[in-house]
Amino acid sequence: MDQSLNPENTSARPTRRLTLAWATLIALSLGAAVLTLLMLPAKVTGGVMLLLALLKARIILAQYLELAHAPDWLRGFTFVLVLFALTLFGLFLI
Amino acid sequence: MSDASAIDDLPGELMMWVLIVSELLVFGGGLLAFMAVRLTDPIGFAEAQSHLYRTGAALNTVVLVSSGFLAACALAWRRTGARLKARLALVAAAALGVVFLIIKGAEYAGKAEVGISYETHPFFMFYYLLTGFHAAHVLAGVFLLLLVAWRDQPRNIEAGAQFWHMVDLVWVLLFPVVYLLA
Repeated sequence: MDQSLNPENTSARPTRRLTLAWATLIALSLGAAVLTLLMLPAKVTGGVMLLLALLKARIILAQYLELAHAPDWLRGFTFVLVLFALTLFGLFLI
Repeated sequence: MSDASAIDDLPGELMMWVLIVSELLVFGGGLLAFMAVRLTDPIGFAEAQSHLYRTGAALNTVVLVSSGFLAACALAWRRTGARLKARLALVAAAALGVVFLIIKGAEYAGKAEVGISYETHPFFMFYYLLTGFHAAHVLAGVFLLLLVAWRDQPRNIEAGAQFWHMVDLVWVLLFPVVYLLA
């Protein structure tokens, strides 16, 4: 879809949505930093780290890369990323 | 949903998405290989990882997602006709890309000072390969952002911003695996 022709983009809404996405990304990054200080078991820390990375990746795909306008593609990318993260976590647990 | 409409649903140029998927596959393969080789020496990998400058890398995450935010805003502003605002946002996004590279350079210099190279341990071979290849993309992205700030048609900015978000996306996946999964 040609986003330049999308009437939604002629309002201030896109930047508000992007600001919320950016703030969430910063909060998730700070969450990851705090997690490293908590001295939790390595497996728990590793799992939560990967989950936070997945959430960040999904926000970038949905909001920065605008796949929120293409929900089927967003679901597809999310599915592959979840499989990828689970494989990494499996290798981490071995 | 037909195949044609599925492709049409993708925002921006199809070729940019081919590039994004290709890059994700390359880095994804690299990260899986990293975790697989780690199985041969988990203690050595954990010890090697403890030498990394995690605070700098975490700071670089904030730098890159903030830069991505500016690039995304630039596209939104250009679509509404705010050309100057969009151009300034692109230059600011590129400047943050340079900040990322400076922090990365300091990290590499710190490793070199204590005699750590790609030959020190297999961990560092992956570390330099993955982060170095990513840094090369950041450098390319900085030039691309400046190029589209100059030639600022909306479709150009969209393509430049998409490349930059791909670099951002790769970093948020690479960072926890290389720097934190001990």
